[in-house]
Amino acid sequence: MKISRRVAGIFILVSFASLPNAVAQQADRGLIVLYDFAQGSGQTVRDVSGVGTPLDLVIEKSSSVRWTNGALVVESSTSIASAQPAKKVIDAVKRSNAITIEAWLKPANNAQTGPARIVSLSSDTSQRNVTLGQDKDFYDVRLRVTGSDNNGLPSTSSPKKSLQTRLSHIVFTRDAAGTAIIYIDGKQIANGKVNGNFSNWDGKHRLALANEITKDRPWLGELHRVAIYDRALAPKEVQQSFAAGAKAMPGTPMREAVAAGNNDVFDNKVAPLFAKHCLECHDSAIKKGGLDLSRKVAALAGGESGKVITPGKAAESLLWESVESNEMPKDRAPLSANEKVALRKWLDAGADWSVEQIDPAIYLHEGHAGEIWVQRLTVPEYIETVRSTVGVDISKEAREMLPPDLRADGFSNTAYNLNIDLKHVEAYSKLAEIIVSRMDVLKFAARFSKSQLLSTDDTMRQHVEAMGKWMLRGPLDERDVNNYSGIATTVASAGGDFKQAMTYMIEAMLQSPRFIYRIENQHGGGAQRPVTQYELASRLSYILWGSSPDEELMRAADAGDLADRGKLAAQVQRMLKDSRTIDRSSQFLSEWLDLGRLANLRPDAKKFPNWDAQLATDMRDETLAYFREVAWKQNRPLSDLLNAQLTYATPRLAEHYGLTSLSEDISQYDLSSVAGRGGILTQGSVLTVGGDGASMVSRGLFVLHDLLRGTVNAPPPCVNTTPPPTKAGLTQRGIAESRIADANCGVCHARFEPLAFGLEKFDGVGAFHERDKHGNALRDDGEILFPGEAKPVPYKTSAELMDLLANSERVRESLTWKVTQFALGRPLLAADAPVVAEIHKAAQQDGGTYASLITAIVLSDLVQETRTEKQ
Amino acid sequence: MTSRKITRRTMLKGAGAVTIGLPLLEEMLVSTTTAAEQASVPVRAFNVFFGLGIPAPLQTEGFDGVLEPLKPLSDKLLIMRGVDHVRADEKGINAHYDGASAAFTAEPPDGEAKAGGASIDQMIRHAHYPMGLPAGMVPTLVGGTFFRRSRVGRYVHSYNPDGTVAATMQEKPRDLFERVFGTVSVAGDPEDVQQQRLKRSVLDTVAEQYKFLTGANSPLGANSKARVAEHLERIREYEQRAYAMKDKVAGAPDLPAESKLLHGGEADPGGMGIDITLEELTSEWRLMADLYALAIQTDRVRFGSLTFLAAGERIRLTGDYEYDGKRRFQFDDAAQHKASGDKGCSHEWWHKFDEKKKNEQLRAHAHMKMREVAYFLQRLNGKEAMEANGKSIMENSLITISTESGDGRHNDVKRELTGVFHAITGASGRFKTGQIMDVNAEGLDVYNTMLAAMGVSGRLGPEKRKATSIDAIRV
Repeated sequence: MKISRRVAGIFILVSFASLPNAVAQQADRGLIVLYDFAQGSGQTVRDVSGVGTPLDLVIEKSSSVRWTNGALVVESSTSIASAQPAKKVIDAVKRSNAITIEAWLKPANNAQTGPARIVSLSSDTSQRNVTLGQDKDFYDVRLRVTGSDNNGLPSTSSPKKSLQTRLSHIVFTRDAAGTAIIYIDGKQIANGKVNGNFSNWDGKHRLALANEITKDRPWLGELHRVAIYDRALAPKEVQQSFAAGAKAMPGTPMREAVAAGNNDVFDNKVAPLFAKHCLECHDSAIKKGGLDLSRKVAALAGGESGKVITPGKAAESLLWESVESNEMPKDRAPLSANEKVALRKWLDAGADWSVEQIDPAIYLHEGHAGEIWVQRLTVPEYIETVRSTVGVDISKEAREMLPPDLRADGFSNTAYNLNIDLKHVEAYSKLAEIIVSRMDVLKFAARFSKSQLLSTDDTMRQHVEAMGKWMLRGPLDERDVNNYSGIATTVASAGGDFKQAMTYMIEAMLQSPRFIYRIENQHGGGAQRPVTQYELASRLSYILWGSSPDEELMRAADAGDLADRGKLAAQVQRMLKDSRTIDRSSQFLSEWLDLGRLANLRPDAKKFPNWDAQLATDMRDETLAYFREVAWKQNRPLSDLLNAQLTYATPRLAEHYGLTSLSEDISQYDLSSVAGRGGILTQGSVLTVGGDGASMVSRGLFVLHDLLRGTVNAPPPCVNTTPPPTKAGLTQRGIAESRIADANCGVCHARFEPLAFGLEKFDGVGAFHERDKHGNALRDDGEILFPGEAKPVPYKTSAELMDLLANSERVRESLTWKVTQFALGRPLLAADAPVVAEIHKAAQQDGGTYASLITAIVLSDLVQETRTEKQ
Repeated sequence: MTSRKITRRTMLKGAGAVTIGLPLLEEMLVSTTTAAEQASVPVRAFNVFFGLGIPAPLQTEGFDGVLEPLKPLSDKLLIMRGVDHVRADEKGINAHYDGASAAFTAEPPDGEAKAGGASIDQMIRHAHYPMGLPAGMVPTLVGGTFFRRSRVGRYVHSYNPDGTVAATMQEKPRDLFERVFGTVSVAGDPEDVQQQRLKRSVLDTVAEQYKFLTGANSPLGANSKARVAEHLERIREYEQRAYAMKDKVAGAPDLPAESKLLHGGEADPGGMGIDITLEELTSEWRLMADLYALAIQTDRVRFGSLTFLAAGERIRLTGDYEYDGKRRFQFDDAAQHKASGDKGCSHEWWHKFDEKKKNEQLRAHAHMKMREVAYFLQRLNGKEAMEANGKSIMENSLITISTESGDGRHNDVKRELTGVFHAITGASGRFKTGQIMDVNAEGLDVYNTMLAAMGVSGRLGPEKRKATSIDAIRV
């Protein structure tokens, strides 16, 4: 069974709200085992879930059962059990803290009792993880949690006489918050609370049908379908499942809603290859040869040479002909063999389009960037985590000792690039020593237990469990407890005392992979799965604060509150009020605009004699203060960063900008009457991306990539990219215009250089001039070509450009994409696009502020669920 | 024999499977002159502990029963029956622990991590070397192969007069090797050395966490595993640079292989026990025994303790047990108990001991323990262990062999702490050997008598207590 998130193409410049949501969903999400009894014979009941290693069940006495059409009739007592512990079920349910048992069955009578075991994950009559049983005329579910005994008591039961001896659909769900519900034939007939979590589930229990493992609680009747999920199915899903009948495969209704076959090829193969190879010349703006392959209607209409696509016949399609012969792409690398195969297959199959228009930006990060990488804490995250966990400020030493995290895909928290070096290991070890030396170890240890006993026969293990749970951001398993407890015994055997044992234990925990990395379970058969409560707590805290969960968040995870949408939202609101959220958002801004670059600026001293390092610092401080003012104090939409008529400046920077200094410190300046300046693009921190020469190429590319999410290919090889110098009669703009007019260069340069025309009056270090050094008059009018659009929009002044950008839906979407990427610590993929669209819609409806955006992100499936790999 | 010139160290070869090559050792080259100077061999004392004990009724069978493996060494041993440590009983504390703490100290433990007083070897050390041992010698060597580790007294058996451990436990052959033959580039302060060793063990724990994440049960996917594996490699590199042995003493043998057994916290998973084969167990133990014996032979060590399985040890042992070329038993504790976890461990045989029954499994375990204790003693009794006075190290040293209880049933403390197996060597003719003696005395009196014979003026136990000298054990 294929379980994959469908990749959907995107309508560009059309509201994200119009995107089809259903394509991204899966009704079979969370399925762990499925027995459909369709095999019709044999002594093995096959697990057909397709998830992980099949958990097949062995029928001990074939004479006790009878296979019928799609059912197994159990006529007398036997054993139908897995040979091994049901590891995949146990692991998955322990992770999710939620479960669903679904069965289509027909009891042989309403007299069997015990309860008679229908589905049992257990080892004997008193040791179980979960059992669905029949007790005469009602169903009984025993579920082991930390709040129950090892026999799963007290149990949850359906009302008396609710059990009928006809084919019935019985579903038991228990969500992470502890709510248990029994449904019969799609209707909820019992509910209750089963408080606690599944951490005490026994990993050795086997799965059995129609009897206890010890073979002394037989159940007789027909089994038509048994499934177990690692989540609580919603009432609507239970109803759908009932309506679909006993033989429906999981997710059938939704799967039917998904267009299959050729659309898959388009989404996964053709649209990306068009984006990569064709749209550079054949999009709406350039439309070489009159051909626009970015839009469905235009592509099917063809170009100056007539139709290029003949649906159903690749051989008769000009598109195929030119690609196969490598005539196209012109002057670029040809398509790979696989790409060609995909294109031909798509054309032969009818050339279906799943979208009206292709946005090449969403295909930028396919391939390796889509792989799942564990996230190491960045240096700022490490510092904040240490501060939050043990109350020690290690920022100075950590910044000195730890190698800096390098930017990849625009951010330095990109997981795949957070590699590890000997220097890291050495630094983590030494920093751990420094951290514990600054701690009151006994006072810290006393937070978790008053005991100071070293013996692991006494309280040490509980002490380790409690302290480890806090330091490592989630419960420890037995192996962890054993490991850390071993430090206590090692210290004791060297004659050390309790304090020494705790000191070394904290040192070890500070170097643990669960401290240094954000460890999540990445297994799950390749499907999406809901994250666990503790994984979610960490995701929330690192996304919002760049730090570890606080006690309140851990408490909420303990209680399963984060599974409750309302309680989760309340937690997010609480967290937004914490100053760490603002600090974290400032990190985003710094990363997005690469403000760290300012510390390394060394402009030509002859050209800019007044430049010094302090001015660079002032520029960085300006942008950060401006962001805090606009995004937090005034709580304005993020897009207002483009044209808010204020800034912050030190006296030195004010002078640099030509403003009258207002005070001796950094102060706010009203720019509403200052021509040319207003918005982040007019701040020195961003203007310096153009280098000494105020390059229109660099500035234009910055706007294209970081504000408009536009794509442009690298210049062809052997092209001289060194621009000619300005001179009397020839400004930067003049040079840019000649590049745009060039047949070879203009295809790409027309997309981004005009974006920088409005910034020509700012020199390489952000000072404002009406004329350049040759006396040439400078201009700030131009035009902006929004990606995907056919026609550019003109602007007369720099201020108009800023307003156009601030009011652009494309810019708002880009901000959503950027913040989401930073939140997730990975580049976004085409598969993420539908969810990002939902995030964007929700955030804009809520004001478009940073707070609304980050809230929408953490409430979205991108954070609530995780991608997994097949084991 | 007045002199003996050992020109070549051949091989120390374990009867099981472990062999370590021993190149020429300078310490072994004893010139005639030197030998003449050493006409009187040094005073040495070692405590050898084995877990769970031998029920008193089985001791009465002499060498026909579980003591059979000691028979080849019987002329050099005094086996003492009827020694009791009843005074060591502390209410509310596991008798395994009481008994183990009393071994070699004869006193109840002082809290969870201290003994009630000095152990025999340390009393002798302080008496004979009040100014410390000769430079370069390891003052006390504590080693062992064991798993249960919830309390120190279960596995450490050498204590200072104040009850603190006399030396850091070396539980991996490589660590013991480094302690004896290695040099580390740490300033001479012993506290620094100890701190370095503890830090290394912290790093081991950390490495173990990374190792798990790279293994088959890791929750991580392929890329993440690779990242964590890289981290683990860097930890190993760092460990090598920061803590590895910088050099070894001249002529020392090659560094033994990394231990393959569980150590640290993993070895004692909450008292639930571990699965282990006889081959795994004895391979590492014999390597430890070889190295410890070599440390004595090369006169780098004169005092200390060696542990073969901890008090209340919890292992589920499997494997064929052979003795004297014959298959005696097949260990399979869990299956034979029909239980898992701690209830499937060998210590349950002690709890289930019934003198009216065969006790086959217990007998096999106890026999095997004697075989392994004898293995160590043989290392000190062979040609390579012969000394200037013509006797072996085993004969010239005081080696006290004891355990935790005389019965394992946990239902009668007095019975449990009575009849605790003891055997000692002659210590250069100070004690009778070649006998099985029913001393029927309190352990404290026996130990104090041993101290007196060793020329130690101090005594163990309360000052005001009326002492009884057990002269029968003395020559």
